[in-house]
Amino acid sequence: MMEINTSPVTQIERLGTESFRLLKVLLAPGQKLIVEPGAMASMEAQLQVETLINQGFFQATLLKFLGGESFFINYFLNPDQKPRHVFLSQSTPGEIIERDLKEEKLYVQPGALIARTSQVQVQVVWAGIASWIGGEGLFRLELSGSGRIWYGCYGAMIEKEVLGDYIVDSGHLLSYPPEMKLSLKLAGSLFSSLLTREGIVLKLSGHGKIQLQTRSIKGLAQWLNPRFWG
Amino acid sequence: MEIEKKYGPAATIAICKLNAGETLVAEGGAFMAMQGPVDVTTTTRQKGGGGIIKGLKRIFSGESFFLNHFTAKNISEVWLGTPLPGDIMVHELQGDRLVIAGGGFVACESNVQIDLQWQGLKSIFSGEGIFWIKASGQGKVIINSFGFIYPIDVDGEYIVDTGHIVAFEETLNFEISKASKSWIDAFLSGEGFICRFKGKGRVWCQSHNPKSYGQELTPHLKPKQK
Repeated sequence: MMEINTSPVTQIERLGTESFRLLKVLLAPGQKLIVEPGAMASMEAQLQVETLINQGFFQATLLKFLGGESFFINYFLNPDQKPRHVFLSQSTPGEIIERDLKEEKLYVQPGALIARTSQVQVQVVWAGIASWIGGEGLFRLELSGSGRIWYGCYGAMIEKEVLGDYIVDSGHLLSYPPEMKLSLKLAGSLFSSLLTREGIVLKLSGHGKIQLQTRSIKGLAQWLNPRFWG
Repeated sequence: MEIEKKYGPAATIAICKLNAGETLVAEGGAFMAMQGPVDVTTTTRQKGGGGIIKGLKRIFSGESFFLNHFTAKNISEVWLGTPLPGDIMVHELQGDRLVIAGGGFVACESNVQIDLQWQGLKSIFSGEGIFWIKASGQGKVIINSFGFIYPIDVDGEYIVDTGHIVAFEETLNFEISKASKSWIDAFLSGEGFICRFKGKGRVWCQSHNPKSYGQELTPHLKPKQK
């Protein structure tokens, strides 16, 4: 059994443009990375892939059914003497965000996570009724601990420092810190809300940095649906 | 034939400049615009072989049934586009062979032979086409991708997720396999099938997987309402 190198992944090359980002991750000998299923585009054959239950059986079940994440998770390990690469991507076109967590928490849109170093914990936590009615689900994905994370964004990413209230469509909210409280708001009057399909939007209150994505998969589906069947 | 790429990597088109007598063979649906005296004929095959069977086989490879032949009577331009947002690569064959994976073929010069290659039973499990396109001969081939294209020079062994393969040199051997050590892990890992390339040669990969994009979208689509 070789000793596991737990230093954060240092060598990352960001390839492509913000409309199609791809990560080239160089794993040092002994280093490992936790990668979401389906994120690997290609890799050197010397890397080992091990599949484990994501954060234990109970959390894995919650993550799968409530957090939009996978029951299983893959560990990419470099057992070789030389650094070896793996390319990581996401399902939608768009930017990939890299972020360091230092004993802090972050809420990220379900399904957005791509990879993390092993000191970062992922769990599903209660998000409240407001989040559910707003289309974000009853539960949310909470990242905590210290380490590096990568998550995907559909389209480009906009970072916004909020002081007070900020209103956002749930499909465009990528991440927010725990200092922000979520509540609901009608986009306009009840009538115009129903008419424009903006419906109910999320209101974030507090002081912190949030991230938005410029595209939304729900938005694309809403546009496509009436066009399929004439 | 001179081929210029524009608006890459997210919305690339290929501008093909034809001299008198030159023919460009393009997949049905790739045509966008043209200028100059060009004759267009539509067939299910390339000149000198095949027929309807080849057209049918092409469908199984994820390509269209028809091929359009653009023959220039004088200097002309044919513009080609692709269905997904992404990039285009132009590869010049000089007697070597290239295998083009699921739906990537856009067009080629008329001295390039395109044929369908049965990938064996293993490819059925890969979720990709049963046939891949094999291009050989002399001339340029135009290939599209979802996202941008990155080349990898393989020497030894290299692994690519089947949804990320654009094309590879035929000098490479490959097997459809799994990324994990055990089959149980492979089914649970969600990595699906991977292609394990062996030998020496180049493989071109695409940054994004069209199938994953589709899987992200489908839960939000509505069935037909009567």
